[in-house]
Amino acid sequence: MSVFMDLNLSYTTDKNRLQSVIETAAHLGFSTVAINYGFEPTAKKKQEIPTPKPINELIDQLPIVQGRSRPIRVLNRLTVVMSDSSHFRPNAAEYRSFDLLAVQPTTEKLFHSACMLLDIDIICISVTEKLPFFFKRAPVNGAVDRGVVFELCYSAAIRDSTMRRYTIANALSLMESCKGKNVILSSAAEKALELRGPYDITNLGLLFGLSDAEAKEAISSTCRSVLLHAETRKTASGIIYTTKTCSDSTCQQEAPARSELCEAPAAKRPHLAE
Amino acid sequence: MRGDDKKDKSAGYQRVVLKNASPYHYMKVCLVLEDESTKLSAVELKQFIITGLKTLYGEVGAALNFDLLKYDEDTRTAFLRVCSRGLVKLWSSLTLLGFYQNQACAFRVLQVSPFLLALTGNSRELQLD
Repeated sequence: MSVFMDLNLSYTTDKNRLQSVIETAAHLGFSTVAINYGFEPTAKKKQEIPTPKPINELIDQLPIVQGRSRPIRVLNRLTVVMSDSSHFRPNAAEYRSFDLLAVQPTTEKLFHSACMLLDIDIICISVTEKLPFFFKRAPVNGAVDRGVVFELCYSAAIRDSTMRRYTIANALSLMESCKGKNVILSSAAEKALELRGPYDITNLGLLFGLSDAEAKEAISSTCRSVLLHAETRKTASGIIYTTKTCSDSTCQQEAPARSELCEAPAAKRPHLAE
Repeated sequence: MRGDDKKDKSAGYQRVVLKNASPYHYMKVCLVLEDESTKLSAVELKQFIITGLKTLYGEVGAALNFDLLKYDEDTRTAFLRVCSRGLVKLWSSLTLLGFYQNQACAFRVLQVSPFLLALTGNSRELQLD
């Protein structure tokens, strides 16, 4: 089984608060978290794309994940709020320093291009407003085929009851078109008390129209495929993972290493039984 | 069951259905508050949980039967019993509770089991030496 991940922790300049959020995430059992840097370009003036802070500057000692005796993995992620197609600059050098790339489209047209064209990993679904457009089946299916995932954040639902309504409504309308595939649930937490445990989120996924298995995938294996998708984005064609399997007594040197090939989009990768 | 018919065909099938119909589920939850010094009695805790149920599911949700079996005021840890059909409702309303009297709070669900005995120990906190 895949480990639990939370691919959205809001970045704050308050170092202590960020540390306590990461520590809480490790304590709750998340093995991987991503610190999210928001970027909202406006038409008037040119803004700088934020640069990620190195992890060792943010936190001195990575906390141990509960139950796994292994330190937590912390990644960086950029979310671009798009209100115009020029806001996302493909091949921008600034994007390369981030492990994950996400966009939040605000119009139907941009949603379509984000699903079908843009070289990204995650499409954020807005949960703080009534959905400005309808999720059409064609772009959603296109995104599923390409291995791009949709992200729903739940911490807004904890903060405010109006946001909770929007979160559930938007989630349900997303599930109508994507049928629970390629969805990740993440927190977008700013404070440690806005984080919830992985099994709590699985249960919450039932409210969002996911089935038991889909909800669990949404915080574990789908997140893993996002990370692999992000790695393929950085390279020319794909990535190969090999693990040496020590077979019985005769540890063959040239045993065919199990490899996981992903030239195809993450969703279409052949899954090898481990 | 599947192995039986290979050995002895004359025995025929015996169908055993385990319905797993445990009537209740038990939860061990811990309330984490921003201000650690806040005192909370058992009655207040139950009232707080009912408020959470009511905001998420309305009056019908607030009518859900659940019991506070045991509560430790110092650690704010409680054992809840809820009928199995209401587990998802109760759990999700606990998850979405974020504020207690205008201070941030969070319910940490420590253990969930259909058997009360299972809550006596936690396998994740075992120290294997």
